[in-house]
Amino acid sequence: MTAPQAPRSHDNGYNRGYAELCVTSNFTFLTGASHPEELVTRAAELGLAAIAITDRNSLAGVVRAWAALKELKRESTEDIQIRSSQRIDPSSRQDIGNHAMLARPAQRPLPRLIVGCRLVLRDSPVDWLALPKNRAAYARLSRLLTLGKRRTEKGECHLTLSDLLEGAKGVILIALPPKKAKQAGAEQRDVMIHIRRTATHFPGHVFLGAAPRYDGRDQAYFDHCARLAHRCAAPMVAVGDVIMHHGKRRQLADVLTCMREHIMIEDIGTRALPNAEHRLKGPDDMARLFRHHPAAISRSLEIAARCTFDLGELSYEYPDEITNGEAPQDRLARLTHEGLARRYPGGVSDHVRALVKKELGLVEKLRFAAYFLTVHDIVEHARSLNILCQGRGSAANSILCYALGITDVGPEVITMVFERFMSEHRGEPPDIDVDFEHERREEVIQHIYERYGRHRAGLCATVIHFRTRAAIREVGKVMGLSQDVTASLSGQIWGMSGGGVDETRVRELGLDPADRRLAQTLRLIGELIGFPRHLSQHVGGFVITKGRLDELCPIENAAMEDRTVIEWDKNDIDALGILKVDVLSLGMLTCIRKCFDLIAGHGGEQLSIATIPQEDTPTYDMLCKADAVGVFQVESRAQMNFLPRMKPRKFYDLVIEVAIVRPGPIQGGMVHPYINRRQGREKPEIPSEALRGVLGKTLGVPLFQEQAMQIAVVAAGFTAEEADRLRRSLATFRRMGTIGTFRDRFINGMLERNYTPDFAERCFSQIEGFGEYGFPESHAAAFAMLAYVSAWLKCHHPAAFACALLNAQPMGFYAPAQIVRDAREHQIEVRPICVNNSLWDNTLERRPDGALTLRLGFRQIKGLREDDASWIVAARGNGYPDPEALWLRAGITPAALERLAEADAFSDMGLGRRNALWRIKAIRSQQPLPLFNDPIEGEGIVEPAVTLPAMHLGQEVVEDYVAMRLSLRAHPMELLRPSMPGLIPHGALAVAPLGRAVVCGLVITRQRPGTASGVVFLTLEDETGVSNVIVWPKVCEHYRRAVMGGRLLRVTGYLQREGIVVHLIAQHIEDMSHSLALLGHPNADSIGQTQPQADDAPRRTAKKPAARAYHPRDQAKKLFPSRDFH
Amino acid sequence: MQKRVVSLWFPRLASDRFLRARTVDAPFALTLRENNTERLYCLNMKAEELGLRRGMGFSDARALFPDLQTCPTDPRADSLFLRALTRWAARYCPWVGQEGVDGLVLNITGSAHLFGGEAALLADMRARLSRAGLTARLGLADTRGGAWALARFGEGVALPGKTLEKIARLPVASLRLTGSVCDTLQRLGIDSIADLHALPRATLTRRFGREPLLRLDQALGDQPEDVSPLPDPPRYSARLSLPDPIGLASDITAGLQRLLEQLCVRLTNAEQGARTLQLTLRRVDQASQQVELRLARPLRDPARILPLFQKGVETVDAGFGIDQLRLEATLVEDQPLRQISHTSSGPDDKLDDLITRLGSRIGLDNIIRFLPSDSHIPERSYITASAAYSAPGGAWPALHHRPLRLFPPEQIAASGRTPPRGFRWRRMALSTARATGPERIAPEWWLEDEAWRTGLRDYWMVETRQGRRLWLFHTPQNPGWYVQGEFA
Repeated sequence: MTAPQAPRSHDNGYNRGYAELCVTSNFTFLTGASHPEELVTRAAELGLAAIAITDRNSLAGVVRAWAALKELKRESTEDIQIRSSQRIDPSSRQDIGNHAMLARPAQRPLPRLIVGCRLVLRDSPVDWLALPKNRAAYARLSRLLTLGKRRTEKGECHLTLSDLLEGAKGVILIALPPKKAKQAGAEQRDVMIHIRRTATHFPGHVFLGAAPRYDGRDQAYFDHCARLAHRCAAPMVAVGDVIMHHGKRRQLADVLTCMREHIMIEDIGTRALPNAEHRLKGPDDMARLFRHHPAAISRSLEIAARCTFDLGELSYEYPDEITNGEAPQDRLARLTHEGLARRYPGGVSDHVRALVKKELGLVEKLRFAAYFLTVHDIVEHARSLNILCQGRGSAANSILCYALGITDVGPEVITMVFERFMSEHRGEPPDIDVDFEHERREEVIQHIYERYGRHRAGLCATVIHFRTRAAIREVGKVMGLSQDVTASLSGQIWGMSGGGVDETRVRELGLDPADRRLAQTLRLIGELIGFPRHLSQHVGGFVITKGRLDELCPIENAAMEDRTVIEWDKNDIDALGILKVDVLSLGMLTCIRKCFDLIAGHGGEQLSIATIPQEDTPTYDMLCKADAVGVFQVESRAQMNFLPRMKPRKFYDLVIEVAIVRPGPIQGGMVHPYINRRQGREKPEIPSEALRGVLGKTLGVPLFQEQAMQIAVVAAGFTAEEADRLRRSLATFRRMGTIGTFRDRFINGMLERNYTPDFAERCFSQIEGFGEYGFPESHAAAFAMLAYVSAWLKCHHPAAFACALLNAQPMGFYAPAQIVRDAREHQIEVRPICVNNSLWDNTLERRPDGALTLRLGFRQIKGLREDDASWIVAARGNGYPDPEALWLRAGITPAALERLAEADAFSDMGLGRRNALWRIKAIRSQQPLPLFNDPIEGEGIVEPAVTLPAMHLGQEVVEDYVAMRLSLRAHPMELLRPSMPGLIPHGALAVAPLGRAVVCGLVITRQRPGTASGVVFLTLEDETGVSNVIVWPKVCEHYRRAVMGGRLLRVTGYLQREGIVVHLIAQHIEDMSHSLALLGHPNADSIGQTQPQADDAPRRTAKKPAARAYHPRDQAKKLFPSRDFH
Repeated sequence: MQKRVVSLWFPRLASDRFLRARTVDAPFALTLRENNTERLYCLNMKAEELGLRRGMGFSDARALFPDLQTCPTDPRADSLFLRALTRWAARYCPWVGQEGVDGLVLNITGSAHLFGGEAALLADMRARLSRAGLTARLGLADTRGGAWALARFGEGVALPGKTLEKIARLPVASLRLTGSVCDTLQRLGIDSIADLHALPRATLTRRFGREPLLRLDQALGDQPEDVSPLPDPPRYSARLSLPDPIGLASDITAGLQRLLEQLCVRLTNAEQGARTLQLTLRRVDQASQQVELRLARPLRDPARILPLFQKGVETVDAGFGIDQLRLEATLVEDQPLRQISHTSSGPDDKLDDLITRLGSRIGLDNIIRFLPSDSHIPERSYITASAAYSAPGGAWPALHHRPLRLFPPEQIAASGRTPPRGFRWRRMALSTARATGPERIAPEWWLEDEAWRTGLRDYWMVETRQGRRLWLFHTPQNPGWYVQGEFA
């Protein structure tokens, strides 16, 4: 009915523009079909005077639109990014994945953004568009929404007309009559009464919104609306009721409808959109639609003009408790100097003094002192509770934070680029994340709530987006793909989950990507990726205000009890310049604290991160040998291969180690030059003295983001702000190719400063190279600190470290089986679980000869609850004589007793697994019956003795794996080795002659990194150690089934050795999984399961039990499953 | 006499059945969709040799072997096939029962000598089954449990009284135990039936309940277990022989009425209703004539059925006279007893009778009815269904103004985006008086519809000066004007 190429003659002269006041973005979850960014950009293209984002009972999307508009206003050539499509890698905090970008519209002037929402009341047939006029009205609207949200559970909002009448002063209200074509008389009367009541209550603020319904009878409907407006004294205004920015989103809108209604697309019927007209339309189209009611169009402009509120007005003030009456800046200065005195007992160097002066000056200028004090306060409190914590993030690595004790990385170690995080130009707040022990973070959170009150402190939301996996599953369901197809489609995605579905992978699945339905589905999946799905609570981003928080932003209840969450996520908060403190959790800190406690508890000293001796030679010796299982960040396979080549000898080497084995430096080709220079095969090449300060520490190879910026400043003459823009657009360099201006500027700048063109080119391409993944030095330093501490502990207190590591599971790269094996390789005795000796946690026991041994705890038993374990310990007394005693005294249920028997925890009583299980099976009731089960009376049932066949070693090992995922008895490979002649044990690979070799082992990891173009890395384990197998794509294709499905592989190939790093290049792979049946156990499927983080392989959604085999022989074949990928 | 039982197991029943009809000389599997997941259900030998298994995800299998041929399985056909096999097996003995979905059990006590002894009987069975292209595993023992265990786990014959010896070494799973009991027994080291048999009975029941001992006793013959053959399906028919031949239609009707009364009593007792009735009239010259009546809904009321036969009976050529009438309900459906009240059983019945009556003239399949369908697309906003096999649909949604008559679009010569002032349609010259619209309807993107190839349509309601009110549409993507309906 409206066509863009409509002749202008339809205009009737009144056309002065149009403001769209009713727009549903995709923050009305599963309804709106466009991102706020897209809507704003499209509005600018269409030349609208203003656009209001009005989501259903929510303000969650407005900040996105606001930020997009702000970006549009900036004179720039960069494209607009849809924030929802961004993903931040949690460890490096860099953007990853593909970014959806929007081209900049040429149109000027840009539309204004009106903040608002669509209030859906419980007792009114009318929906209300609420558009606050000013800051005060906004605060009231925000409080109104908070009221409605706090009343009910997460995601809902219960408001009534009386709430509206009470709390919406100063808010412009536009009534939207119900959509139905024909209304019952009573309802029509209701509509009129409600509008009239509101109009009398808020004179001059209430309007009637007439939205076209596009059913062919709009003109009649508008006439009806005009009559209604007349009778209710609410002037009529034209609104578009927009749900998408462009007509092409109609399909996605239909799919969203299906997802909302839980139906398939075939069943959508009339719930589908009949056409794509509910899109954003330009002034001409709207004027033509409302040709008989031109005033309704111009009224939209009037309303837009009255709503002057801009989100930028939200001013933020720091809480003032933290100052104790001092001025914040004075207090910060005082604390800093106190801290410096503590850190440098020998006196402060001039360099440090100058740094402190500069940083304090900058903080004063930007008035961030209160922020540092808030973080300091939280950290102090955590310290007082003996909770380990460490600051991270760029601002954390400042001399201020070092002095305040927020971080332990001193200024000697890394270059401090304070400007990067607190540039005056950007006006963005500084960024400090504090990691706490993951088990005790809740204490810190509750402290913050207590100290500042719930009305002033709230957690940020996290918008949960559709990622590839979820998008495939949901769209697949709607479009009728069967579950196994969707499962394998999402199984095809390795790691990267921002991109859509790859066509070649689809073909690999045996599907035809040219098939219409499948092509449609794949396209829709691509469109849906990045759509917000629901709000969740952020892991720990706290917003703390001086005044009421609910006047800043609506607050809603979190799914977790006792938590309240604001509607905006951390990026929204950043965009508005509101400061937040990140209270994060880190498993390694828990592990380190547990380790400290264990050492202190067994007669050692009380250690802390700061008191660990630095630059310890044995620790670095250990790392050089790649003996790093369990060491933070450097325990992965790639890191372990790199360690012997890198040979770290000092702390900064670890910083580089942490940063260099990342996709960015690897793809940017920085690893080899660095290693060559490091090993002295190449001379460090530093082009100028000016750059020596920048690149000297990394031997002339730019590795960190900070260095890229500094090169731009020092060598190319960028200003700090330009360098920062350069950094931020790095991410989009490669994809968009919009680097023209920066590139010319960079190269010319370098040429002017007498660098060779060749070097300038190389510099720039290197910067480009790690644009997507560059790692900030400050993060690397924080991680390297923990890596060092954990390595030191492993080196000097291996038993305590292994114990703490097991108690902090799940974390890290390795499964308990590998940690235990590693501990035993370090001559630590590991004792089995025993009902009379173990606790829930793994513990250390002192041997008569003084050595510490590791006693496994009940937590290693699969399916045993901590509750049961604590009862066992509590009622233990002088020990249990038999399994029945546990049942009688500790009240352990038969099911839990069976778990214990399966884990062989009764061997202390002389009961093997089978005998214990046999005895426990006789206990039938959950609770002991007092009369019949008193053993003292001797009236128990006397049973004939039964001799069960003894288990052989193979069965015991499998049972161990079933119950605990590890075995102290033997490695399955050890038992199978006699039946497979000609194998080289992994432990002997380091000395085996180069050339052809055959190895066999359980697959513990399978990886196909995105950076390695289809190469698959397998890690095999046998009783002597692990071997690294490289499978080239061709070989992989040939032995696809074995590589994919095998749990025990025999690999024949060529040995390669570099230093102590040994690889086997696979030539021939044989799946030996069937020989696991030789171990002879009926129902195990536990050996060879790897930690999720250890395998790049996609997770199998819901591991389904395979149908029961028909023969025990078939059953045994199902042993030792590993994780598969396609 | 010692009881002897044969257990027959068809490990690949479904795929064997399928491949009998269509030979596939390659890895082949039937798939079953359950819980929205496709799994391999039954495989042929070649597929099993590749390492594929029952219960494996279909997509996994396809990723492993892209050329694996598959077809969805048909459990109904499988069960019919097993029924046929049951009938076939009755050639060996009268007591043939089904065992699960893929097995048979035969009580051959006293019938083996007819085939020359047990060995010959089994050999005959095996030969016939393999000629029929079926993989079968046979077990023969004194008990049903023993035969089951032998068929599935050991294939062989236990001589009379030697059941325990023969099955002792088989795993405990061959006792038809539930999975969890089986697992626990095996974990305790009780792997075989012999191990289980050796244990003191009291200790077993205390730990595992009655199941293991019951199954053990059944297998060893200490507890009886019968084979129950399938019942024959009931037949609903009645016959009337006449001492003298008759020729008048009224006489036939009178005879028919008697038969109907008999038949309907039996139908009522079984809570069934006749859907198709067949009347066979035998003439004195041994020729016979048949009258078939197909009903629009299941019926068992003689008073209502009788008039519907009228037309058929009139066409009968009695020749020298008819001396026997036979009436059979060849197709019956469940028709549970139902509370009747004064509100129900009204116009519905009359409509159904009308449909039946019309159907007997023009064929029941030619009578269709319209049902509402949920779609914006005018052509798809209704569906047609066979009147006899559908109930009147629910409410017709009054969504938009739609014409009373809808016909396939007829193109008219016009251009422009708004309705033409004048146009020719069906050789009439019409001129537009008033046009309302447009209502834009876009094709349903998830379907491929030939008629909507021209893209989206803008519908207009056009009132002509000549009096006709037409429904026109314009296709802006492939400019053209069409008439699709006419308002009342």
